[in-house]
Order: sequence, then structure tokens, then C-alpha cells
Amino acid sequence: MSRAVRILLTQRIALLALLIVVVVVTFFINDAGGYLTAPYDFDYMSASLISAVPLAMLGLAELLVILSGRGGIDLSVGAVVSLAGMVFGFTYGEWGWPLWPAILATAGFGALCGAVNGFLVSYIGFPALIATLATFYAYKSLAIVINDQQPISTKPIQELFSLSKSVELPLFGRYVPDVPLGIFTFLLPTVVAVWLLLARTTYGRRLYAIGTNDVAARWAGLPVKDTRFKAYVYAGLISGLVAVVTVGQFASARPDAGVSGNGMALPAITIAVLGGVAITGGIGRVAGVVLATLLIVWLNAGILLAFVGNEGSQYQLLALGAVLVFAALLNGLTNRRYGGTTS
Amino acid sequence: MTDTDETPRLRLTAVSKRFGAVRAIQHADFAVRAGKVHALVGENGAGKSTMIKIVAGAETADTGEIEFDGVPARIASTTDAIGLGIATVYQEPQLFPELTVAENIFLGRELRSPLLKKVDWAAQNAKVVELLELLGLPERYATAEVGTLSVAEQQQVSIAKALASDAKVLILDEPSAILTDAEIEVLFGVIRRLTAAGVAVIYISHRLDELFRIADEVTVMRDGRTIGTYPIEDLSVRQIAHLMVGEALSDARPHRRVPEGPAVLELRGLGRAGKFRDVDVTVRKGEIVALYGLVGSGVSEIAACVYGIDHSTHGSILIKSSQVNIRSPEHAQRLGIALLPANRKVEGMFGFQSIAFNISAGHLRRMSRFGTFIDRAAERGKALELIKRLAVKTPHERQAISAMSGGNAQKVVLARQLVERPKVLVLAEPTQGVDVGAKEEIHRLITELAEEGTAVLVVTSDLPEALRIADRIQVVRGGTTTDEFGPDASQVDLLAAAAGGRE
Amino acid sequence: MTAVAEAKITKRVLPPPVTGQEFVLVGVIAVVWAALAVSTPAFMTAGSIQPLLVATAPIALVGVGMTIVIITGGIDVSVGGAIMVCSVLTAKALVGSEVGLGVAALLSVLAGGLLGLVNGVLIAYGRVHAIIITFGTANLFMFLGLRIFGSGTVNGIPGTLAFFGRGPDGRTLGVPHAFLITLIITAAAWWYLRHTAGGRHFFAIGGDAQAARLAGVRVQRRTLLAYVVTGLLVGLASCFVIAQGTSTLDQSVGSGKELAVIAAVVIGGTSIMGGRGSVLGTLLGALLVQSVASGVTQLGWRSQLSDLFVGVFIIVAVGADLLRARARRNR
Repeated sequence: MSRAVRILLTQRIALLALLIVVVVVTFFINDAGGYLTAPYDFDYMSASLISAVPLAMLGLAELLVILSGRGGIDLSVGAVVSLAGMVFGFTYGEWGWPLWPAILATAGFGALCGAVNGFLVSYIGFPALIATLATFYAYKSLAIVINDQQPISTKPIQELFSLSKSVELPLFGRYVPDVPLGIFTFLLPTVVAVWLLLARTTYGRRLYAIGTNDVAARWAGLPVKDTRFKAYVYAGLISGLVAVVTVGQFASARPDAGVSGNGMALPAITIAVLGGVAITGGIGRVAGVVLATLLIVWLNAGILLAFVGNEGSQYQLLALGAVLVFAALLNGLTNRRYGGTTS
Repeated sequence: MTDTDETPRLRLTAVSKRFGAVRAIQHADFAVRAGKVHALVGENGAGKSTMIKIVAGAETADTGEIEFDGVPARIASTTDAIGLGIATVYQEPQLFPELTVAENIFLGRELRSPLLKKVDWAAQNAKVVELLELLGLPERYATAEVGTLSVAEQQQVSIAKALASDAKVLILDEPSAILTDAEIEVLFGVIRRLTAAGVAVIYISHRLDELFRIADEVTVMRDGRTIGTYPIEDLSVRQIAHLMVGEALSDARPHRRVPEGPAVLELRGLGRAGKFRDVDVTVRKGEIVALYGLVGSGVSEIAACVYGIDHSTHGSILIKSSQVNIRSPEHAQRLGIALLPANRKVEGMFGFQSIAFNISAGHLRRMSRFGTFIDRAAERGKALELIKRLAVKTPHERQAISAMSGGNAQKVVLARQLVERPKVLVLAEPTQGVDVGAKEEIHRLITELAEEGTAVLVVTSDLPEALRIADRIQVVRGGTTTDEFGPDASQVDLLAAAAGGRE
Repeated sequence: MTAVAEAKITKRVLPPPVTGQEFVLVGVIAVVWAALAVSTPAFMTAGSIQPLLVATAPIALVGVGMTIVIITGGIDVSVGGAIMVCSVLTAKALVGSEVGLGVAALLSVLAGGLLGLVNGVLIAYGRVHAIIITFGTANLFMFLGLRIFGSGTVNGIPGTLAFFGRGPDGRTLGVPHAFLITLIITAAAWWYLRHTAGGRHFFAIGGDAQAARLAGVRVQRRTLLAYVVTGLLVGLASCFVIAQGTSTLDQSVGSGKELAVIAAVVIGGTSIMGGRGSVLGTLLGALLVQSVASGVTQLGWRSQLSDLFVGVFIIVAVGADLLRARARRNR
């Protein structure tokens, strides 16, 4: 028993998996009891995954920068989504570029925005919170000014909406629910790429090393600044890809896509922290971020069915806030009791 | 032994303290008198710092008695010690750089004027100016931010802070280690003024020569015991060194045949402004050379320069007779130089990462496919090989290094330096904070590496270590290389040479 | 204390009260104002300056609390959510029970204090980094705010709070009350931070919390206080926000304010690493941001362009500070 508690407290992935099961089972039972406004079943869960695409991708972007240590964080991801989205709108929607070059240009532009952050943080020595707060304002402003506050929703852009449609999986697709296309075209490739980067490449090792102890990394002869710089570039690159997804989802390149309301940065950081990424750097895994996203997405999806009207979206805030505070306090407790979380 | 009728200000009788299986001090006796400077000397690990911690309340003695002014006293916490009037100035000043000197001195016990509980700056500053005068510092320092002062001045602020609480006993833990000669002179002036005012000073130092200028009495510690207390007039540097070292058995060290190989590493007139100067050292293939110097002598800065962490301002470094300008640790590694850093936790360990991670860091390209993907089999193989070679005690290579003992963690950090067989291996304090068994093993390994042809430079402040493993010992004192000794030198000679008393 | 020592005491008992950053800010604001005065003659009129000061007030006021929080080495990203809770609560009270000015303000301030208390307790005693806790409570506060909103907006808010507003009721001798109150509170906080032991302890905590604890500073209590003060000021600032608006309060109230406040604090020269900062700088930072925003509108540019300037100001202000720190180290 105490062993089980210990595993749940120290292995974030085990805890998240358990919470997902609890959430899903709870809503299944509520569904069976007829308390929900619509059926909470596998089809619904699968369809709701569309909102997991930007959330998980930006969560992974935050994973990379937070891992790099020294207070690494990126408040600008949402603003990069807005600005890169406008770049995509121009290249694909206005100038008639083919899809792939337009996507590449957008991702490259996102990487450039990230490079500005990385340069300020790693080479000049700005605290990440400050540098990315500044670029958040700058990118947000540019995104709005660049097309005089007008969204771009020309025909090619509108046709992109198919990206967020659900598709039947090949081979065994008949037996499982249809899955939103964005999962395959954007999320899975990003998850696999980031996982490979962190778990299998020398770059990943260097990133964990500088995040764990950047003084020791220097004494071990690792290129500390270059490694930290690239973490921000990759985060920008992912934000650029999210821009494409978002434009597709809205069928429009909106100048405030990533910053309206709460913006995209706060939920992304929340997902990363919930996924067990230590704000001090050096600890965090792709699986944690993915599971944290699933937990929040399926929890949110259930909440939408449990409440009428916009009450649902309000309770989603409660759920996100409560889960984050709970996870943070748990981390504090774990640090004292067991000397830390391992993933 | 000293004998007086006077009641000592502070007396410790038969004090013992264990940490787990280690007996840090055993039946130690120690007494300081008001208005006197009492020096406490001993080699690293002799028990000085434990003794100080017990007096300062940072540790509690297991057994033994403490008397203050002849009255039995209990020091269970730092608060107890401060309450008795015992103040400690540690090597690293614990000050707030953004606050002024006056604020630092009064932090947590500010003088307040009755109106609105406002800090009474005038009263505080008046008191601080008085203290600064006593310390020989200009009064404008009262309102200077501590961050703008030099290290020496910050130390004096720490002393002022201690005095502001009307200290009766002042502990100075190696105050001279970070000071220049001129600053030491100022410090001594301060100490003399304090003793004249009746303060009892406990003075810890590695520099034996300076004791003759400041101390009244000396207590020597060795292996956790107090060997004795003597008036300074009765001693010489050699005699103190002798008492510290004891009847050292000539270490049963197998005498190695050192091949007259070519010089691999040469430092010629190497210097770094303000740190060290005119350092000449040659290490040949297969040779172990020790750079032996006390804390603050400049040895650790020399190592940092050889590895490209710092950059020299004078002289040159030669690798295999060709001059090199070492730009970074990465560059040093490419030149075949590996370095074991002195501060394991800060400079060496990737705390919550695995042994394999810690070993492969810095050698990732070698353990990769196409320079990009980690070759996990190669990494694991190398880790297991080195774990075996260094006899690291661990169930598996995935164990987190933060969970390991000091000795085992040190072996892992050392293993990292051996992944690519270095031409030059620099070891800074290789056995600091390491248990006896691991120390033995690390020494044996160093000898093996030399026999395989590595040129080894050991930078150490541990005298027996230098004598035990080195083929030649270069003494560093006052930021420069002074004497050279062979492996047959006596500990007393070496200590006297490093601590500055040659008679 | 001897008479000689007494006589020798330096006239200055503290470092200079105003740091370089504040002088620079005053200079920059002067340049911006001068440029605007030349380019748009309407700028240097009461009709233009008064709304500018009114709009500066809520950001600068919350900035006082945020400055203290950041000095202790913390941060509070939940103030946007907290402003929403306090505003909607107060607006509903004004509409529903027609309470007076004093009661409304007190209600708002108390509500803000309570929210600050929640943050403070979690951060001081939960031993979790402030940014994570306040990200969490930001969501909780927004939930709370939206629940109080119910559906849609709060309509028909009476002019009870006009004392804090833009109109003629909100001014005495031409000075807007909201700005005056902000000025007084900033001055009081400046004095408190500079001249009392409690105030100095905030700086010590931000410098090194562990060393401060050893020196006898009650770290947890001080930390708690910093967040409660921020909450109380959020409460008062919410009254300003209601008073500045129309008779309708919509659900976007408070949104994004946390970043605006942090930007003002940072431009004002407070170090995000803790241990150093000034509420005076924060006031100037908020004034600069608002001046630029007002200038951008008056020049007929797109209003969102002012955010670009905010970004640039942050980079320049903090970059200059980094260079200064580097120069000091190399000295």
C-alpha cells in the first residue's frame, strides 16, 4: 500500500494515468446515469482530441525551454502563434504559395521568433520571464498591426478546415472511433520528434545536463549557451506549426489567435507543470506532457457535457486551476518526503 | 601546557562528536581566555571545523562539557551561541549584496525610533561608524551597498556584524585565506584592537607563519583529538608542523620507477592578474606531479587556467612542446586534457541524473551514431566498464548520482574524465569529502593511470595525499611556485614550505 | 558613542533615495511628452492628460503590490483574475443593493485581500514556486469571477464610484482622485520599504531567503504579507476600473492585466530575481506605458502598436540593467 502511494507520488506518469482512468470512469458512470447532456463515449472522447493538438504541442514547446533551466519559460508562444499564423495567411492565403512551402516558411518564421528569445536569454543573459514577456508584447502587437487588424480568410485558407476533420483509421479503423486528422498530421509527428530529440539524441542529453546543473555542464565541456539558445528556437518552431493548425481550425488567420482571452501560453505552461516538468529545469518527459494533455482534454470534454451553456467552460477553468495547484502542492510534498519526482 | 589561575571565557572538556561511523572529534579539550588570540590548527579532517561548529551551535556535541565564564553552558543551537556572545565569521560571508553595510549589520535586530517603528538610521549609522572606525574602514562604507565592496571588505563587514552583537568570543574561520598580505595586516590590526577590548578570539588558519604575529596560544588537533595547547613563544613553524603531522610513519608506498619520458604538459611563467604569477611546472609522460598549496594560495586558479575555464594573462602553456592557447573546457578536451573539478556538487555532478548520464556527459559525440543519436549500447557499455574499473558500488548504471555516497559519486565524476583516455589528467582535490576506502582506491587508480602513460597533475591541499601519490611535489605559496620536493620529502618540510616558515 | 564620532557621522544615512533607472524614466517620459506636445497640440491639455493619469492609476496601484512581491523573489500572475473577481463582485453589489461608495470600496478591498491571502498561504507555507501557484489560482479566480458574472455582462452600474472616475466628480483641482490615491499609496509604500525594518526585510528575503531566516527575519509571514497587500491593492484598483468604464462591465475585465502590471514593474527597474526594486520606478513605468499608449492613439496609429513599444521598453530597461550589473562585476 505505502509502496503504491510512493509510486503515485514520485512517478508523475503513474499518477496522471490513474487520474485519467478516474476521470473517464466518472464520466462514463455519469453518462450511464443520464446526467450528461450528450453521450460521453469513445467517439466523443476521440473527437475532443482536436483540442489536444495545439495544447500538447505548446506544452512540448514549454517542456523544452523549462528543461533548459535557469528559470526557463516562454510566455511568447501564444503571440508567436498569432504572428506566424499571419505569415501563413499571407504566404498561403494571399500570395498563393503551395501548402508545403507555406508551412515550412511559417515554421521557420516561428523558429526565428524563438531565436530572438533564445538570443536574449542565452547570449545576453535576460531572465527568460522578462525576455519572453517583452517579445510577447512585441509579437502580439506586430500580428495585429501587420494586416491592420484584419483576419485573412481567403478561399485556400477556408479549405484548410479539412485539417480538423475526423478520419477513419486505415486497416482497423472500422473498429475504433474516427480520429481528428490534426492528430496525425501535426501532433504525433511533433510528439515523436520531441521524444526522439530528448530521449535519443546528444542534443537532448545536453539539454538535460544544462538544466540539471549548468556549472557542471560548463566544466564537462558542453556548449551551454548554444544548447539553451536552441531550446527556444525549437519552441518557436513548434509554435509556428501550431499556427498552421490554428489557422486550419478557425479556417482563418486571425491576428489574435494565440493571445485572445487567456492566451495560449498559460495553458501550455500549466500542462507542462502538470506533466511533471520541474520549473527549476532538468526534469520532465514527453510522456508526462502528453498524459497531462489527455487528462485536461478529457476532463474538459466531460465538463462541457455536465453543465449547460457556458457554465461548462467556466468549470473548465476551475478544473485546470485546481489540478495545477494540487499538482504543485504534491510536488512540494514529494520533495520533502521522497526527495523529488523522477519524471 | 598553559596554566593560568584565570577562569577561561570558554572551556570545552572531553568533547566528542560522531557522524555515523566517523569519529569527528574525540575527547577534545579546548579553552580560550578573554583578551587572547587562540589559534586552532590541524590538517584537513583533523576536526577543526567540527570543533568550531560545536562552539557556534551549528552542531551539538555527543558528550563532553562546555563552560562559559566558569558556568556550565548548553549550546544546542546558533541562537544559544549568539545569546552567550559567541559570534562566528565564516569564510564565505553571508551578506546581502543589495543592502547597505549598516543594514546588513543590523538585519533582524534593527534599532527603531518610536515614531511609526521607523528604523533609526542615525542611531544605527552612528553605531556602525564606531565599528568601522575600530576596523579601520572609512565611515562612508556605512551607507555603501555590500555588493560594491571587495571580498576583504565584505569579510570585515562580517566581523563588524559579529561585533555589533557585543561578541565576547569571536571565531574567525580561516580569515586570511582570501586576503592579500596588506589586507591581512589590516585584519591583524583589527584583532589586536578587539583583544585589547577584552574579546576572546579563536583563530583558525593554515598559514602557520602568521600565527607568530597574532596568536597568544596554539591548540593543535590531529585525527579528531586535541594534541595539546602551547604558548606561541614555545613553538616554531617546524614544531607546529611536527605536532600536526604526528609521528607519521613513512608511508609504505611502493616506489615507482618513473620513466624519463617526454614532457607532456608545461606551464612556463604562467600567470593570471590578481590570482597567481610565474608558475613553472612540467609534467612528463607517466609522471604524477602534485601542486601542493594551502587554501587561497592560488592552486585551484591554476587548474582552472589549464582547463580553459579561466584565461591566463602571462606566460604560456605547452602540450607536447607546442604552445597552446586554451580557449574553453571543450578546447582543452580536444587537446587531450581532462580535469576533475574540486567542487564535486557544484562543478562535477548532474544531481538527479543517472550514473551513465554523468559519465557520458561531455563525451556525447563519441557515444553517438552520426554525431546525433545516442548510441545507448556504447554508453551503457562504457559506463559498466568504468563502474567496474573504478569499483563504483551501485546496483546498476541507472542509479541517480545524488543518492550515492561522496566517495562513489566522486568515482563517477572521475570516470567521466577517463572515457577518452586523456594525455593530461588534472585532478583538483581528488579525495575531498571522500571516505577512507574510496580514497585508497582513487589513489591506486591514479597510480595505474600514470603507469599507463598519462601525465597526471594533482592539485591538492591535502599533504599526505601529495606525498603518497606524487613523484614530484611543487609547493605553491602566495600565488607562485616556490620549492620542489621529491617523494622522499618529509611532511614537516613540506608543510613548513607551504605554510611559510623556513628556518 | 563619543562626541567625535557623533560629529563625524555622514550627512547621508542611506544610499541615494532615487536610483539611475528612475531618472532615466523621468527623462524618457519627458521626451515622449515633449514629442507628443509638438506633434499633437491637443496632447498638452487637461482633457488629454487627465484621462492618461486615470488610466495609469490601476496598473500603478497593483504595481505597488507586485513590486513588493517581486522584491521578495516571487511573482503574482493571478492579479488579472483577481481584478475580475473584485470588479464583478463590486459591480453586482452596486447594481443589486445600491451600496454607497465606502461600502463598495471596502467590499472590493476585502475581497482582494482574501484572494491575496489564498495566494500568500499557498506560497509561503506550501513551499511551491510562486509562478506555478499563481498560474493555478489565476484559473481559479477567473472561474470565480465568471460564476459571479453568471451569463453575459453586468449592466446598469450606477455612478456611485464616480469619485474614482474620469468625470468631473473624479477630480479635485483638476487632479484625478484615482491618480492622487495611487500617488499617496505609492509614497507610503516607498517610505515603508525604505525606512522600516519590515520593509527592508522584503529586500533581504529576495536577496537570500535562507540567510534572512538565520538573521531572524520572519520569512513566511513577510511573504504572506506581500501577497495580501497585493490583493488589497487589487481590490482598490478594481474600483478604479469600474469607475473608468461605462455602466456595463463585461467578462474581459482584468484580462491580460497581470502582464501589463509586471511590465510596468520591470520597466521601473525592479529586478525579477528579487532583492532590488522601487515602487517609484513602477509608477513611472506605468506612466510611461500609458503615455505611449495615449500617444499612439493620438497620432492616429493603430492602438495595438503601443504593445510593441512596451516590448522594446522592457528589453531596453532590463538590458541596461544587465549591462550595469556586468560593469559592476568587472570593476
